[in-house]
Amino acid sequence: MARLLQIFGFLSVLFRGGTLTFGSLTIGGIVFLNFVARSANSPSEAVNKVCLRWIRRAAIALAVMQMAYILASSLILMQSADMTMGDVSGANFVLAGILAIASAITIAVLVGVQSPKIYAVMLAPAALILVSSMMTSHAMARLDYRFPLAVVTALHQGATATWLGGLFYLLIAIPRSPDNQFARKLISRFSKLALISVAVLAAAGFTLSLAYVGSIPAIYGTSYGIMVATKVILFGTLLLLGALNFQIARSPSAGSVIASLKRFGEAELGIGITVILTAASLTSLPPAIDLKNDRVSRQEIAARLAPQIPRLASPAVQDLPEDVYAAEVTAFNGGTLSSASFVPGQAGTRPNTPAEKSWSEYNHHWAGLIVLAIGLLAFLAQTKHFPWARNWPLLFLGLSLFLFLRSDPETWPLGPNGFWVTLQDPEVLLHRIFSLLVIGLAIFEWRVQTGRVTSEGARLIFPALVAVASALLLTHSHSLGNIKEEVLAELSHAPLAILGVVAGWSRWLELRLPAENKVRDRMAWLWPSCLVLIGLLLLNYREI
Amino acid sequence: MRPGYRVRLAVSLFAGTAMFLMALPVLAHAILLESSPSINTSVVGPSIPIKLRFNVRIDATRSRLTLVSPDASTQLLAISKDAPADILASQAQGLIPGEYRIRWQVLASDGHITRGEIPFKVTQP
Repeated sequence: MARLLQIFGFLSVLFRGGTLTFGSLTIGGIVFLNFVARSANSPSEAVNKVCLRWIRRAAIALAVMQMAYILASSLILMQSADMTMGDVSGANFVLAGILAIASAITIAVLVGVQSPKIYAVMLAPAALILVSSMMTSHAMARLDYRFPLAVVTALHQGATATWLGGLFYLLIAIPRSPDNQFARKLISRFSKLALISVAVLAAAGFTLSLAYVGSIPAIYGTSYGIMVATKVILFGTLLLLGALNFQIARSPSAGSVIASLKRFGEAELGIGITVILTAASLTSLPPAIDLKNDRVSRQEIAARLAPQIPRLASPAVQDLPEDVYAAEVTAFNGGTLSSASFVPGQAGTRPNTPAEKSWSEYNHHWAGLIVLAIGLLAFLAQTKHFPWARNWPLLFLGLSLFLFLRSDPETWPLGPNGFWVTLQDPEVLLHRIFSLLVIGLAIFEWRVQTGRVTSEGARLIFPALVAVASALLLTHSHSLGNIKEEVLAELSHAPLAILGVVAGWSRWLELRLPAENKVRDRMAWLWPSCLVLIGLLLLNYREI
Repeated sequence: MRPGYRVRLAVSLFAGTAMFLMALPVLAHAILLESSPSINTSVVGPSIPIKLRFNVRIDATRSRLTLVSPDASTQLLAISKDAPADILASQAQGLIPGEYRIRWQVLASDGHITRGEIPFKVTQP
């Protein structure tokens, strides 16, 4: 039963992220169609067609995600509170979901009507999707200023969808433009729309931060504050890319201008989706302003981040609890767990034992050494003077083996639980699959670096995977009761994720930008630098 | 297989697996700000008023309060419909002295479910 709830629980987070992403793509597409593509002096049939096709796909995906979200959340509620489907059906999240599904289906149907007059009509269901998202936001559960906060939330989400969702449509519209002049017109119109969106987004974001964070100590002292700060940093990266794009769009026409714009746009979109996933994670954290106790102080952060000699000796496996999950359930049933809030499917929060903390530090420090070596070798490889350094991806094999052995010490080969247990426990099974994927990544990127694979698509796998993994690290939030240790863990993981996102997209830009664009050379040094910094941060990771 | 498809396949496979791995700790955000009885305190029986105050609006119809008795038997408590939006209120009656726990589960107005426990002791009047 607990396992079942756990599965439904993590599925509902996944569906929430999908709902926000596809909602942004649907709204952004409709805004793009009405205010960018349609406003061009002589609209292009091909551009309109491709936009409509993707709006329909995004709307259908949104409807499916919403259905899955309602189903998963309803099942959690029915199982954990012994309710019937009838009891659950009037809940706010169900009503909001039904509104989004109906709006998305309406859009998918309207796309089929072959008339440009329908484009403006689609703005109405797009607005209802925004209302639906607002209904399940923090604002609706607040005790004070509920409706003003709901309006600001809608402005924030609408501006995000217009900018980042619209950017996707710009990228697919450019190659279908009848000529370069048309493409530049699209870019120019979109730039203006994006500027307005960014201004609204920033103003609304600032207002929401005042309402939900409220003070400087809450920024660094709570998980919510740390995630907001991460969003702001990524937003800064997006603004930088946007500024580069804006500069290029205003420069005199040159052969590589549109190619550069597209490549920056790809990175901007990727980082933008990362920001949306971070926002999905924020919606499931308690606002910082509500957490008055157990905030982490500046002194505690300084003490935790002070450099120390890495832990290169591991505690014995026998010192660890045999089955972490069983230990939590036992502690919970015995009433020894924290009485802080937790969600169905979690057994509650149990403080890690000193041996578990040492085990985790040892894991992070050895992983840090391997990543540091990868970064340094990648640096050397970029100089072109050390051809042997191009074999750096093979070090990922060591990382994979290390993770395989150490991530689940209670199972084979280190622990008493046999190999087949790995197939029964979804968490252990997924760790094992993850190790296999790292092996695949190592071999693939090694073939790319050593010239055995030359196709453009294959070369993009490594940066795409680094960017995706880093984005997902941000969706992995830790704290509810704001237990200090979990906030400190968040504080160390957020910079790793930001560096990973920058590493992935800078490598992407190095590969994708046209040779005459000077930014490309800077990107070639940026991603190995990020890998080195990730290695150093891991080496100083501490739980004690 | 075309390289473009290979990229998409690899990224999707990785993203799917990583998402399952990383989304395991699911969280929500209704926090118990104060309660009566408070955590680990003693109250005089046999009848005690129960009041839980949260940081957000609660859907009381879809929330639950369960009393766990010293003999581990459970009893669903009726939740008052007249309490303010952030409060769950109830009344437990006929309590004999001993160690009790109130198990609460709430649905916040924004759709998040949270639960927790309040251990307390009942003494003789």
